[in-house]
Amino acid sequence: MQPAKTPRPRRVRTTSRSVRAAERVARTLISVGGIGTIAAVVLILVFLVSVVQPLASATSLEKPSLLPGSPKGEQPLRVGTDEYGLIGWALRSNGQLEYRDLASGAELERVDLTRGGIPPAASSAWAGGEFALAYPDGSLCLGRADFATSFLDHDKAPESLRALAVGEHAPHGRGRAQRIAAEQWRVQEPSTGQRPIVQLPVGADDPIAVVEATRTTKGFRVAWLTQSGRLSVGVLEERENPMTAELEVEISTFAAPAPTGATPPQRLVLTGLGDSLLACWEDGRALRYDLRRLDDIEISEEVDLLPEPSARISALELLIGRGTLVVGGTDGSLTCWFRIRPPLSSTRDGTRLMPVHALVASGPAITSLAASERSRILVSGTQDGELRVHYVPTNEERASVRPFESAAGPVMALALAPKEDAVLAYGRDSVARLALDVGHPDGSARALFTPLWYEDYSGPEHVWQSSSGSDDFEPKLGLVPLVFGTLKATLFSLLFGVPIALLAAIFTSEFLSPAWRTPIKSAIEMMASLPSVVLGFLAALIFAPFVQNWLPSVLALFFCLPLCLLAGAYLWQFLPARTAIRASGMPRLLAVAACLPFAAVMALSTGPLVERICFGGDATGWLNGSVGSGFPGWFWMLLPLSSALAIFAAAHFGGTWLRRRSASWSRRRCAGFDLLRFVALGLGGAALAALFAALLHAGGLDPRGSVVDTYVQRNALVVGFVMGFTVIPIIYTLAEDALSSVPQALRLASLGAGATPWQTAMRIVVPTAGSGLFSAIMVGLGRAVGETMIVLMATGNTPVMEWNVFNGFRTLSANIAVELPEAARDSTHYRTLFLAALTLFAITFVVNTLAEVVRQRFRKRSYQL
Amino acid sequence: MQHPPVLTPEPGAPSQAPATVYKRAAARGAVFQAIQSGASFATVTHAAVAGEEAVLDIRGFDLWYGASRALWSVAMRVPRGKVTALIGPSGCGKSTLLRSVNRLNDLIDGVRVDGDMLLNGDSIYGSGVDVIELRKRIGMVFQKPNPFPMSIFENVVYSLRIDGERDRRVLEEVCEQSLVGAGLWEEVKDRLQDSALRLSGGQQQRLCIARAIAAEPEVLLLDEPCSALDPIATGRIEDLIEELKGSYSILIVTHNMQQASRTSDYTAFMYLGRLVEYGPTRDIFLNPQLAETEDYVSGRFG
Repeated sequence: MQPAKTPRPRRVRTTSRSVRAAERVARTLISVGGIGTIAAVVLILVFLVSVVQPLASATSLEKPSLLPGSPKGEQPLRVGTDEYGLIGWALRSNGQLEYRDLASGAELERVDLTRGGIPPAASSAWAGGEFALAYPDGSLCLGRADFATSFLDHDKAPESLRALAVGEHAPHGRGRAQRIAAEQWRVQEPSTGQRPIVQLPVGADDPIAVVEATRTTKGFRVAWLTQSGRLSVGVLEERENPMTAELEVEISTFAAPAPTGATPPQRLVLTGLGDSLLACWEDGRALRYDLRRLDDIEISEEVDLLPEPSARISALELLIGRGTLVVGGTDGSLTCWFRIRPPLSSTRDGTRLMPVHALVASGPAITSLAASERSRILVSGTQDGELRVHYVPTNEERASVRPFESAAGPVMALALAPKEDAVLAYGRDSVARLALDVGHPDGSARALFTPLWYEDYSGPEHVWQSSSGSDDFEPKLGLVPLVFGTLKATLFSLLFGVPIALLAAIFTSEFLSPAWRTPIKSAIEMMASLPSVVLGFLAALIFAPFVQNWLPSVLALFFCLPLCLLAGAYLWQFLPARTAIRASGMPRLLAVAACLPFAAVMALSTGPLVERICFGGDATGWLNGSVGSGFPGWFWMLLPLSSALAIFAAAHFGGTWLRRRSASWSRRRCAGFDLLRFVALGLGGAALAALFAALLHAGGLDPRGSVVDTYVQRNALVVGFVMGFTVIPIIYTLAEDALSSVPQALRLASLGAGATPWQTAMRIVVPTAGSGLFSAIMVGLGRAVGETMIVLMATGNTPVMEWNVFNGFRTLSANIAVELPEAARDSTHYRTLFLAALTLFAITFVVNTLAEVVRQRFRKRSYQL
Repeated sequence: MQHPPVLTPEPGAPSQAPATVYKRAAARGAVFQAIQSGASFATVTHAAVAGEEAVLDIRGFDLWYGASRALWSVAMRVPRGKVTALIGPSGCGKSTLLRSVNRLNDLIDGVRVDGDMLLNGDSIYGSGVDVIELRKRIGMVFQKPNPFPMSIFENVVYSLRIDGERDRRVLEEVCEQSLVGAGLWEEVKDRLQDSALRLSGGQQQRLCIARAIAAEPEVLLLDEPCSALDPIATGRIEDLIEELKGSYSILIVTHNMQQASRTSDYTAFMYLGRLVEYGPTRDIFLNPQLAETEDYVSGRFG
């Protein structure tokens, strides 16, 4: 027996511990990384939503706290609160001004504003606690129910205040103190401001019946009506005497035409800065005086503030800025009026007072109104005790509540705390204080996405204007112009970028030899690495002025370039067949390139010529509408379309016949005929364009006002061109990938059947790669939507909504970049900007998802081939 | 188009080599050794070939892929109305030769050629030849069925479409004729507007043949048309080739000896870029003049 061969010991194959550990670590890291990325995106989304979400919150009025010991009394002239809603005041027609602690209900101070016991004969009070009291003898007292604020630190604060927690308040001195920080207390005390008494020039036999005053930049403007019906307007200018430091008041009086009517008007209302005066009767009739020229006061128009004949005006209030008049009637109607500038107005100042917002149509009589000092919030109270919070621009009722236990009593007077955090309602026998949370009425879906009728506008519009120099400015947070701007930027950049990128992709994948393909593709991809801020800079400072200076030539290039290339192609056909085929590589490319400078020279020379012939030598002027008619504009705009129509018609009606006829012709003859046909079609297209243009022009249509209009230096044309450069590399590289992944077998089959490379590309490759090309365009679109720097720098950032190529726009992204640093944290503006970000996120998300879905489908399909 | 007269051997064209020299060579495979060593070598062309009218005349054709030479002075005359098979081991240049006929090799970077081919007397590689016009005269069917992702109808009439034919009647007539010619009409006549990708592999290949013959080509090139098909589909294609014989001049590349012997009239055996032996199929398979050819067709080599 042979000695047993000792078999080589079988190698023990086990995975070593280090390999297992590495495996585990890698697996963990990859999972953490992947999940972390998803979590980060979700967190960003959650954060955006959490910032935006309060925009949707409702306005809330908390359960009222009724003040104990409130006196029964008649309707106060006006009521108000201090900045923090702790102390309330009420001005009564008997000349008493009472301050009341709103927590305890205790009266803090009473100011006697009578003149030696004689109460004012007429009074007017307006927002901010200011009032004007006119006494029978013609003297006028201007004053303000105001508060003095002082601060206490630990040493000065009495024991009773130290016990308070931060935010709590307690009576202190003549007012109320609130602990605002660990060692700081703020004390609010009544402090009535009174200006020197002014004597109005009225006779003793003709006392003042109605008075109205408003603050102007230099002092006050006062209007008064005497019992005999004489209406006067006075301008009070205050000047501090430099010697005595006393306030000197100078009054100049102007007579106004007497109001016409059976009875004298019951109310006077000065609107704006006192440039317009309304004399109102109780039945709603009103005369508007134009006070812009005080030495020539005229009645501008007569309006009926209450169309309902039996109704009486029961409450009048001016919104912030005194531009909007709110009229409440006994029929329960609540209407906001402001002056608009209709196109054909017969009034002297060209404006007309119009009822714009009907907040309430009918119901129990409106008994009291209070307007906010910081926004367009309006609070109204009714005869049956209901209290409503309105937001005027959106015409919305935001909240309503019945503050009094006895439902029957009317709301006699209302005050809205300056911070809009409390409402003070005077009932017949009690006073209610209601905590108010306004929310974001100017950021509701209606305010953001529907056209609103803003003050001084002639109709509802989408407007974005978030800030202004003045405090009484109405913020207009319409997101639609920004979305529109984003779409406009995207559309124009894609109009420019997509054809170039797709044709370049087709050229490299179908016509270029593989040796050239890689370097050219890499070079175009390098374009993507150009920082967009550099492109924006070039666009704004180099390209935009260039286009402006050379506008006719730049526009002419759009016509000259295709014309030169086509003419070159037709001339190429004259080359003998042998030469043409030998020169089909590099020489032909060079010939194409040679067309470019030729086209540029042609554009430079023909541009000004065409400008002189068609546009009166001033293209910008023509665009502005100052010279020329619409005909040449239509002609040039319709020329490409008409030429395409002519070519299509010629191919459709004579193509086959011509092909059969020309089959036997010599090459030269074919080429000559083709050139003739090209010229004929060009002329035919021009004739067709002229015909269409004449028809449109005869129909009274002008292209100005549509896609062409007033020229602005930073415009969509410039942005489209420059932003095209950022989308071209992306679309190009994805499109090229899609085209290259079309199986070579299809290409060979088509070429083998005798198709030209162009036919192969158009009939086989492009349709097969169609979805890939679509997704390439979509990804490019996503890029264009999110692009910020170029649009920020080169659009002028004007949030206008027009398709005019020569005007600017503002995109969502640029708007965020411009305004977020200025927006107060957690303000409506701030949250709206976050909503803009969320909108942008949603658009790019949808677009990219669509692109990806289509791409996946395309990949599945390409497996079939 | 003038057709060349029945051909006579020309000076410079590969002559009929004395077959016995090789067949009686001391060691079998001497020819291969000669070829491998790069020695010059003359194709053995049977006399029967000379009697045929040539539709395609390949004259001393060389081809290089960059620096490597793929075809070495290939000279053969493809007879009109007959089926000519190209056989040989992988990489011997059969497909390269086939694709050289309609100049699809132009699409590959670094390809250089020398010599010429004549299609019915017209030069294929002469300077100034319009390749597009040339390809319209040659039909080609590839290894893998490659129908276009469009309807069956549009696939068949593709060559007419690219020539600008719009007359619906003409298109329909050509479509029917071609599909009948390709033996596919009965199967697809009711669903001409269906996507061609829904057909089975064999049907797709017959569709490709229909597409090729719709252009009425002067020569039909088949590049291993059955290599991606199952035996039944292969059988149908072979029957089809049999039917097309006479109406079309067919040059077919095949790996399958049985297929070559069943379907072709003439067979050319290639090895390492050289045309080794070319003659009537019967002679090549039963009575080759070279021992190497015999070895290859009998499966002893290759």
